[in-house]
Amino acid sequence: MPQHRAPYEQAQVALVLFHVGPYRVALEARHVLAMADHPTALRTANAHSLLYADGEHDSPPSHWLTLRDAQKASDDNSTWQLGVSGDITLQQLPANTLYPLPKLLHSRRFSTALCGFTFDQQQLVMLLDARKLNL
Amino acid sequence: MSAEYPRGNQANDLPFATQTLEEALATHGDTATVVDVDEPTQQLVLFRLNGQRFALPGSAVSEILPSDQPVYYVPGLPTSTEGVLHLRGKIESVISLHHLLGLPSPEGASKGMILLVRAAGITSGVRIEQLDDVCEVAQNLLQAPPETLPSTLRPYVSALWQIDERQAIALLDPEALFDAYQQGLG
Repeated sequence: MPQHRAPYEQAQVALVLFHVGPYRVALEARHVLAMADHPTALRTANAHSLLYADGEHDSPPSHWLTLRDAQKASDDNSTWQLGVSGDITLQQLPANTLYPLPKLLHSRRFSTALCGFTFDQQQLVMLLDARKLNL
Repeated sequence: MSAEYPRGNQANDLPFATQTLEEALATHGDTATVVDVDEPTQQLVLFRLNGQRFALPGSAVSEILPSDQPVYYVPGLPTSTEGVLHLRGKIESVISLHHLLGLPSPEGASKGMILLVRAAGITSGVRIEQLDDVCEVAQNLLQAPPETLPSTLRPYVSALWQIDERQAIALLDPEALFDAYQQGLG
């Protein structure tokens, strides 16, 4: 049965926000299965490597976000963990404040996972599609 | 009655150039300065990059944004990408044309205005150093780019407006610029 929203009801999207170096990044919360202090999955990656070459400005992750492994078959429940740092917050942001990546940048972005931007406390937040993270 | 030319008048003794009535009347007319309103014109946005004069078609420039428009840096993009701007509920990229056009990058922070350029279904801000003018130019004044144009400019220049012997303005093709950027140039 379709869900109907009252016209005044603002659609929200739940996001997990964290830092990569000095930059703020967010993943859609529905793709984040869990958060842990230590890595436990077989496959792990540091979000730092999204923006920086090996070792450059490296800092050990303070938390590990467990994500479903999109590289595996859809019926496979295997997961992997993304190491992140800084304050990790769960926020509901209005859908109309989430902006798609400008077309011109599609072919020049650092990762196909970069899909848009939003703002939090007047700071730019890069939106990543967790399913396209390939670290 | 015979026609007599007045004589003995001092004024008439002065040497004078002969002129027909048509010529005399024409000198009072403004036919020489009439602009043919049917002549096709093109609106150009004139600006400077690295001191050099360039233009973009006015039809491709939807807005001219002030130099203090906030631009947010996005990491992991080429140096020709200054970042993104937030304009009335949309996020647009902001690029610099220096690398594409083979011009030295400006030193220090960007200070000039931003042209919001739309071409081939893509909108992006383009940082300029100085806005000179927005004007209408007769299309017959726009010449094909000469062979002597530097090879770095040739792919992106659709026409040249030779203002005088010393000054020429290169009309840039926004589609070619965006296409090259997307292909990884600049």
